[in-house]
Amino acid sequence: MTLLDLLLLLSLATGALAWLLGRWSGAGVLAALLYAGQLALLGAMDGSAAASPTFQVLGQTIAWSLDPFGRFFALITLGAAIASAWFMAGEWGRRYTQAGHSLRALHGALAINVLAMLLLLASTDLVSLFIGWELVSWAGFLLMAQGGAAAVRAALRYVTYAMGGAMAVLGGTVLAYAWTGTLDLGLLAERLPALEPGRLWLLVALFTGGFGVKMGLLPFHLWQAPAYAEAPGPGTAFLGAISSRMGLFAIALVLARLVTLEGLDGLQILPGQFGVRDLLAWVAAFTIVLPTFTALKQNDARYLLAWHGIGQGGYMLMGLVVGDAMGSAGGLMHVFNHATYQAALFLSVYAVIHRTGTADLNRLGGLVVRMPLSFLTMLVGIIGLAGLPPMNGFVSKWLIYRSLMTEGMPLLFVASVIGTLGTILSVYKLIHNTFLGQLRSEHEHIREAPWSMTGPMLALCAIVFVTGTAPGLVLGWVADAQAALGLPVLRYTLGGVASAKGGLDMLWIVGVLFGGFGVGALLFYGGGGRSRRVHQLDNYAGGHFLSADVRYQYSDNFYAGLMHRIGPLYRNAFTWLESALVSAVDLAALAMQGVYRQQAPAFLLLMTAVAGLAWVVL
Amino acid sequence: MSDLKQIPIHAEGDAGGDPKSEGLFTRVFDELKAFCRSRSLFMLHYCTGCGAIELPPAMTSRFDMERLGIQPMVTPRQADILLVTGYVSIKTLKRIILTYEQMGGPKYVIGICSCTVNGGMYWQSYATAKVLNEYLPVDLYIAGCMPRPEAVITGMRQLMENIRTGKADNWKDYYRRYDHYLGNQQQLFGERWQTPTDVIGEADHYGLAGPETTGPHTALLQQHQVPLQPLEMRLGSRQERKP
Repeated sequence: MTLLDLLLLLSLATGALAWLLGRWSGAGVLAALLYAGQLALLGAMDGSAAASPTFQVLGQTIAWSLDPFGRFFALITLGAAIASAWFMAGEWGRRYTQAGHSLRALHGALAINVLAMLLLLASTDLVSLFIGWELVSWAGFLLMAQGGAAAVRAALRYVTYAMGGAMAVLGGTVLAYAWTGTLDLGLLAERLPALEPGRLWLLVALFTGGFGVKMGLLPFHLWQAPAYAEAPGPGTAFLGAISSRMGLFAIALVLARLVTLEGLDGLQILPGQFGVRDLLAWVAAFTIVLPTFTALKQNDARYLLAWHGIGQGGYMLMGLVVGDAMGSAGGLMHVFNHATYQAALFLSVYAVIHRTGTADLNRLGGLVVRMPLSFLTMLVGIIGLAGLPPMNGFVSKWLIYRSLMTEGMPLLFVASVIGTLGTILSVYKLIHNTFLGQLRSEHEHIREAPWSMTGPMLALCAIVFVTGTAPGLVLGWVADAQAALGLPVLRYTLGGVASAKGGLDMLWIVGVLFGGFGVGALLFYGGGGRSRRVHQLDNYAGGHFLSADVRYQYSDNFYAGLMHRIGPLYRNAFTWLESALVSAVDLAALAMQGVYRQQAPAFLLLMTAVAGLAWVVL
Repeated sequence: MSDLKQIPIHAEGDAGGDPKSEGLFTRVFDELKAFCRSRSLFMLHYCTGCGAIELPPAMTSRFDMERLGIQPMVTPRQADILLVTGYVSIKTLKRIILTYEQMGGPKYVIGICSCTVNGGMYWQSYATAKVLNEYLPVDLYIAGCMPRPEAVITGMRQLMENIRTGKADNWKDYYRRYDHYLGNQQQLFGERWQTPTDVIGEADHYGLAGPETTGPHTALLQQHQVPLQPLEMRLGSRQERKP
């Protein structure tokens, strides 16, 4: 019985227990504890931990083993699962049950997701990778489809995309086996770079496209935002935090470990000018910019965050494709950072929904006086998402920017900065429309979310802040993951990166930042510290006398001026493309149906059978 | 309204200025503070009448008020100067008083144009508040119909000088003799007149409450005043409040 056996068994047991005990009120706490137990097992692992069960396919051994790269993702998965299970442990779960939903189905789906992800992360060959991939896809569907009619529609759209992606991955797997004669990742890493460029091109395209679907890589990104946003509360937080990162995991595995960056350099479009790495970097850049600016337009807090999830995935891929020590460390670290702040943001949005019943940014406002802890969570989260110090999002984005500059990619750098600009604009919209401005009279009597919900939110905030101040805590795992992938390893310190060309020490930055606050506080409190709370209606509106029934500071059509400028740039080209594709498939299906209906079915069957037999015989 | 006429309004208050600060260091520090204060003024221009037309040239490149350290501010909470630029109708005066009370001390009021001095060409009007300093403590008038930007700048420089030498402290008078100002306001607006600001509480806050801060008019105010409910921060552990 190895540690990985124990881990997978415990994960399986968590699923079973969550399903059996899901109706019991303590199920959420139990599930969170079980996930914590899995995390402890993960922490006890060292090097590569193999699982005992294996089986044979085509004379190849199919096995599972968790290396530091997989462990890094598993750690984030389990952390996100703990936060989500904790969030639904109390009042949220009771309300969910009262509303007629099945809490045990939600608990069960979450546990199955975790198990599927652990299996995927522990894969050692293309078959176990494909098994894990399919399990993750369908487990994700289970979680997404629980949120009602809109959720089911979004989940079905997701499954359509996911199946397309899985077919590409399956095709890639078959071709890789046919051309190299092995399924084992270690052997593939030796044999794949030696393939002729045409075949390698096809494999890279199939794998990147297939896995990119899950990641929401352009142009396969349209399914993600609705599917995640419509999932039930903590499910959204879990999916948004880690689910689509499985795509990144698989892409990193294929590109960095199997094909290797040198192998990728052999694939040129314009020799010496533009290669597959540049292509991927530009895809990542567009994945950053376009979904981020789509997020800017959203009026539903959940959709806004979900679109950002796609955009932030672009940063991760960008860092990995740049491929130097700093860039790939930034990309990998961004997975962790994004999971922490994205989960915190989603949970705070769901805390608001729990109290007010809406996530419509035009129907909220002023909640800071009623839900200060949720406000704090969102504030910490958006600072992380926008990539500003002292939160952890800053560190990973700094690493990515830095590598783009040192590797001489100024245009990609500009694209990333434009993405960050869109992020800052839209997170301001998020926090302003939810928590700032005028408190609506219908929200006058609401109160802060219960501790079962604010607990995980504040815990995530603490992680976001601590790993932003001392990024070395995470960079240790990142460096191990880089080593396992065969990438250059980042030399890190507790405060960040030590580099002769100019490093980063967050301990200093945070120290100076809070020193500045300290000076301000010293001046204020040294001067007497007199302050006075004024009522929200004792406010300036061109001299008007304000009353609670007059709306004087609210938001509707936020960024109207900006949208006047950039609005015509939104062309919905991808939506158009998707619907054109759907129409084409519809038409083909109709044509097939016509042929089948008008000709004798038996005749067609006979033709097919003859053709099949001929193929077998010949 | 009938008994409102019978409540006397004290025209003159006690001339209790600040005692001079003791000690060389304190005096130097106070003077430095007053100098700095006079050189960085945020101005809320409550443009009530035609005098406002002379402000853009005063503020923009030709006369450039900003070289004196004066620039416009959009909210009263951060502003130092309230600029009233022309005739003040009774309806407008309510807004001006509301805005003035929202400003944090020290604060200064400048009345521009003859209309704020004595009603100007509106002296016969039934709907115009003619003498601004009956309702607000005006620090400086810039007379004229309308005053040129040069006059505006000169007035501003005079106010800066007054601030530097410590003469411009009429804002304290509003707290010390609140009953007087409130009485005049009530004469004009009626006995139900109220603003959201708790001026008496602020007078205590600044340590400026004197014998004439409260009086028969503030007593009348307190009879009618509907205070705003406090908007406090509440955490989840507290019970939900009944509406």
